[in-house]
Amino acid sequence: MTNITILIIGAVLSISILYLVRKGKMHGPYATWWFLVAACAMILSIFPQIIDWAAAKVGITYPPTLLLVLAVSMILVRMLTMDLALTQKERKIRRLTQKLAMMEEVMDQENTDQDQ
Amino acid sequence: MKTLIVIPAFNEAENLRVLLPKLKEVVSFDVVVVNDLSQDETAEVVKSQGIKCLSLPIQLGAWGATQTGIRYAMKHHYDHVITMDADGQHLPEEVHALMDAYQQTPSDVVIGTFPARLSRLKKLAWAFFKFLTLIKIEDLTSGFRLYNRKAIEVLSQRQASLLDYQDVGVLLMLLKSGLTIVEVPVKMLNRNDGKSRVFSSWFVVLKYMLQTTTLCIANIGAKQAK
Repeated sequence: MTNITILIIGAVLSISILYLVRKGKMHGPYATWWFLVAACAMILSIFPQIIDWAAAKVGITYPPTLLLVLAVSMILVRMLTMDLALTQKERKIRRLTQKLAMMEEVMDQENTDQDQ
Repeated sequence: MKTLIVIPAFNEAENLRVLLPKLKEVVSFDVVVVNDLSQDETAEVVKSQGIKCLSLPIQLGAWGATQTGIRYAMKHHYDHVITMDADGQHLPEEVHALMDAYQQTPSDVVIGTFPARLSRLKKLAWAFFKFLTLIKIEDLTSGFRLYNRKAIEVLSQRQASLLDYQDVGVLLMLLKSGLTIVEVPVKMLNRNDGKSRVFSSWFVVLKYMLQTTTLCIANIGAKQAK
């Protein structure tokens, strides 16, 4: 039963992502990430044995722990990259704002020069 | 009929020094170079040739720079935009081939293609994308294109600003808006510096393939005709 629930969640997630990309509401790199997440959810819900097999390989006796640890660490990685991207955007916006102010000053100068 | 030639440029001072005088000699259209935050004297070289240069304060990539030129054309009421690369692989003489093709066949976009330049790897990638999107265009990435007013209006839209590459996304957008695209074979030179912006490293290729595949799958069934 859980498998079917996860399969449905994965399917809904991927369809929503594709819809957002199609409507031009989500940027390429983010879409690719979410699409991969949805694909993983679907694959794991169809073949849950993968988790059991991987847990046995790394020596974890209770396989769901592996799934949870992996999921939480992926969320942490994603949050970290998000903050990196946000920092980059913040810097770009600040530089852009400063540049705009400087450009405006240059244009004002030119206008007053022409008036004289 | 006003025509604008848009040349996106990133660190292309040396190539532009050769290209711009030739271009001025061969065609009489207005030219604008979009300087994508170059580290060399691209802007100085362009200005010294008496050509307009739009310098971006933030790096936007090849498509972002090209769209800047297209929006400039939109604002200044140009009827056609011709885009070409700054690296010298697109020949100024061939601009007329694009113009002739546009006048002879009723279409909104003309793409100048040079199939011989495609490597086997690229051909494989294109075949995959063409299979996903059902686009019937030989050369998906050629930046040597002519857009008419209708295409300029479509590509000036806000949605087009989120695209990262000027190939599949741009073509899908044009086709979805019901515009027609034709291809015309043109002569091209090999890249002067031998580098491609998209196919430069394996990591970049992988990122490009993944992103474009997502875009293709998202647009399945959007528009099937040529």
